Amino acid sequence: MPKNSKGREVAEIIRKKCSGCHACIGECPVDAIDIVDSVVFIEPEKCIGCGKCVPVCPTDSILFNKPLKKVSEAVPTKSTSGISEYKGVAVYIEARGNVAADVSWELVGKARELAAKLDTQVYGFVLGQNVANIAHEAVYYGCDKVYLMESPLLQTYFSRVYGKALTQLTNEVKPGIMLVGATSLGRDLASVVATHLKTGLTADCTGLDIDPNEKLLLMTRPTFGGNIMATILCRNHRPQMSTVRPKVMRMPSRDLTRKGEIIEVKFNGKVEEVPRIIETITLDPSSIIDITHSPVLVVIGKGACDSRDFSMFEELAGLLNGTIACSRPLVEAGILPYARQVGQTGKTVAPKLYIGIGVSGAVQHLVGMQSSEKVIAINADRNAAMVKVADYSLVGEYQKVVPELIRGLKARTANFQFQGAK
Amino acid sequence: MHIVCCIKQVPDTTQVKIDPVTNTLIRAGVASITNPYDLVGVEAAIKLKEKYGGKVSVITMGIPAAKVQLRECLSLGATQAVLISDRFLAGADTLATSLTLSSAILKLHADDPVQIVICGKQAIDGDTAQVGPGIATRLGFTQLTYVSEIISLDKEKGLITVRREIEGGSQVVEAKLPVLLTVELELGAPRYASLPGLVRAIREKIETWTAKEIETPPEIVGLKGSPTSVRTIFAPPPRKGGPVFESSSGLEKAVDSLLNELFEKESLLVQEIIKVDGKVEHAKEQ
Repeated sequence: MPKNSKGREVAEIIRKKCSGCHACIGECPVDAIDIVDSVVFIEPEKCIGCGKCVPVCPTDSILFNKPLKKVSEAVPTKSTSGISEYKGVAVYIEARGNVAADVSWELVGKARELAAKLDTQVYGFVLGQNVANIAHEAVYYGCDKVYLMESPLLQTYFSRVYGKALTQLTNEVKPGIMLVGATSLGRDLASVVATHLKTGLTADCTGLDIDPNEKLLLMTRPTFGGNIMATILCRNHRPQMSTVRPKVMRMPSRDLTRKGEIIEVKFNGKVEEVPRIIETITLDPSSIIDITHSPVLVVIGKGACDSRDFSMFEELAGLLNGTIACSRPLVEAGILPYARQVGQTGKTVAPKLYIGIGVSGAVQHLVGMQSSEKVIAINADRNAAMVKVADYSLVGEYQKVVPELIRGLKARTANFQFQGAK
Repeated sequence: MHIVCCIKQVPDTTQVKIDPVTNTLIRAGVASITNPYDLVGVEAAIKLKEKYGGKVSVITMGIPAAKVQLRECLSLGATQAVLISDRFLAGADTLATSLTLSSAILKLHADDPVQIVICGKQAIDGDTAQVGPGIATRLGFTQLTYVSEIISLDKEKGLITVRREIEGGSQVVEAKLPVLLTVELELGAPRYASLPGLVRAIREKIETWTAKEIETPPEIVGLKGSPTSVRTIFAPPPRKGGPVFESSSGLEKAVDSLLNELFEKESLLVQEIIKVDGKVEHAKEQ
């Protein structure tokens, strides 16, 4: 236990564990805590050894051994008595014209898992105009009850009016959990609704689960540029809200025999001034390079940066419905655009399948892809860092390995009937 | 025209290194910077000020050291800077942060009506993109998120036209002031500070407001006013290497063994990826 010059036992930070959340700074009555190099620092000469900073630390990063009086948890003062009224897992079903965004169904699939653990129901919230068909689809994908709010005011999405509508619906239905797809629309809407409801919202969760003891929603998300993961709780406010990026959760099956109830709800909103959309430009989806959303990435590294071989990589990517990405040296050499770069200074990706061709696996690259589901390394060097972390590795000259891989894949897939992309 | 920019001091996440032994973040020695998205917003505000007149106020909630970031904005040409700093404000989540910042904006508004608030699309440390929409909701301003271009501003009619990035394309939208914009990097890189700008930035007094001054009771801001709390943080589990197939012992055999393993052990994944109709188990019979 460290002591200061006055002989007082003082608190000390375990720098490696500190998340830099500042929570302790607010607790310190003598302003002895400051941030140095993004980590909390406790000035020993100022510290009076009261220990108030210890219980608020989410990561147990404060060393302090003096026995503490039980401090009541620092939680918002909003009454927690009404929480038990909030039940069920709701999913906001994002309507695009008269079809729903795929991410909404992925969330319905996840909501079913969560609802099973809580022994409760899954609700679908469908808002818009002429979207009744989506409500039926919501049943097929797994909703027990679908609340359908149709109004001419909801013809086009605007954050304010949709925010009011979804807030009204949430206040009437009182779900314990509400999930929203983290599309550009969903991220706006979820934040507006959480602000109206004065509840907690956790963005871009990659993992959702239920705490078996407390029955709370455990929301896990990458933070700090994807370098660390944090599990977040919303203990005393309802609904517990979370947004999830597309393609993070698995698509559930559509079952036409499923039965569910569709309940129509009237929107209480009034006509108000909305922004005017002058023009909408839709780009050809094939012209958009978005390596963060592609389920399969064929990643080219320094060991395979001969542009003459690119037709071969494209063929492989094409067979797997994948996208070409790369490591930093290829961008620096001007071979591929920055939009395709994976890694610390590029994009953080988490595809279902990552195939690295001639990627050595520098730390800066690995942090940008370590959440990939499965990794295949093709590398001439058996001792490359990428080979050490890959689920499967093929050691050999890529000029020979890749054509053989293409041939093997073709032989296997030729026997199957392709459904073709929808 | 009074424009308010909200900025955040963030650790430079591009400098972060990973401890190869513990697979945890080495944070010591990482410099603090102004969130790059926020700086793009400040640049846009200064351009608007140069074209249409008025003033640009820059605010941040943070520790006293965040004055460095405010001075950077002053050096680019912001009119005034305010630090909102109080131990009651520490540990805030996005709900408490949007309350604090909107309260500060209201205080500025009382002095000189605010027409435009600009925030970065998101901060590079938290990546939530929630604070901007939260502030707009509390202020009752129209929110225009993911703005990549400010096309025009009509001071007389009080109209602003911007381009927003949306799924699969973009949208040109006209809205009535007051508005809150959250901005993309495409809006334009910040300028370099001029020498007079730097000198001014050092001399300018930065006001500091406490929770009391922005009239926010301690129980609704900071850690106490935050519905969400962090339960644990952890490094993503380190990946363990799997089987290695050497082509030196026969290329065809190596590729074949890899594909066999893949189609057997990862059949679900393979099915999903190549959208195969029928069961993957058939592969073995061929």
